[in-house]
Amino acid sequence: MPEISDAAILSALGRQLNNAVAKQTTAASNLANLDTPGYRTRDVSFDDALDHELGDVRRTNAQHLAAPLGDGAPVEVQGLQSRRDGNNVQLDRELLALSKAAGDFSRAQTALTAKFRLVRYAINEGR
Amino acid sequence: MPLSSAIAASASALDAQRMRIEVAVSNIANAESTRGPDGQPYRRRDVVLSSTPVDADPFGGALGRAQAVGVTVSEVVQDQDAFRRRYEPSHPDADAQGYVATPNVDVPEEMVDMLGAARAYQANLTAINLIRDTIQRALELGK
Repeated sequence: MPEISDAAILSALGRQLNNAVAKQTTAASNLANLDTPGYRTRDVSFDDALDHELGDVRRTNAQHLAAPLGDGAPVEVQGLQSRRDGNNVQLDRELLALSKAAGDFSRAQTALTAKFRLVRYAINEGR
Repeated sequence: MPLSSAIAASASALDAQRMRIEVAVSNIANAESTRGPDGQPYRRRDVVLSSTPVDADPFGGALGRAQAVGVTVSEVVQDQDAFRRRYEPSHPDADAQGYVATPNVDVPEEMVDMLGAARAYQANLTAINLIRDTIQRALELGK
C-alpha cells in the first residue's frame, strides 16, 4: 500500500484552511453589499475547480506543472433571484456559507493540531 | 491576511448601515420641518451605497485571489420629489391659498428603511463574530 506522506497531508489540510478563509471572505463581502444596488453575489467554488481538473486537464507527464488548485477566483453565482435594484444577495445563504466555512476551518485545524502533536511526540522521543 | 480584510469589509458595512440609520432618523426628525436654512421645507435625504474593494493588495488581486469587497456611502442625495401640501391657513409658512408645503418625507417608509438597515447591521455583526472565531482557531494552531 502506497504510503501517504506527511507533507501531502499537511499541504492538503493547509489548502483546506485557505479555501475556508476564501469562502468566508467572499461571504463577508456579499453580506457587506446586502443593500448595494446592482451588486451580484460572488462565490469561490473549489469543487468546480476540482471537477474541471479531473475532467478536462490531465497531466500526461509527471514533470508537467499542475494547474494551481484551491486558488479559485471569485465568480458570479448564477441562478439567484434578483431584487428590483439588481442585487441578488441572500442573507440566509451567506450566513450559512460563513458558518459552514467556519466549520470546515475548525475541522482542518483540529486535524492539523493532531498531526503536529504526533510530530512533537516523535521529537520528544515519546515523552 | 485575507481574514482581516474580510473583517474590514464587514466593518465598512457596519459603517454604511449606521449612516443609513442616521439619515433615516434625521428624515423622521424633520418630517414636519417647514423651514430649513434656505427657507425651503426639509428635503428627504437618501444614501447611495456603492461597493468598493477594501484590500490594498494588488498582488493578490492580480492573481485573481478572493478579494474582500466592502461597501461605502458614496454620497447622500436629496430626494427631488415634490413637497407635500397641506391646507392650514393659520400656519406662518402658508402660501396665499392657505397651503403649507411640508417635507417629502414618508415616515412609514423611513421606518421600513431603518428596519432593513438594522437587520443588515446585525447580519454583518454576526459575520464579524464568525470570522473572529476562525481567527481564534487559527491562533490555536500555534499552541
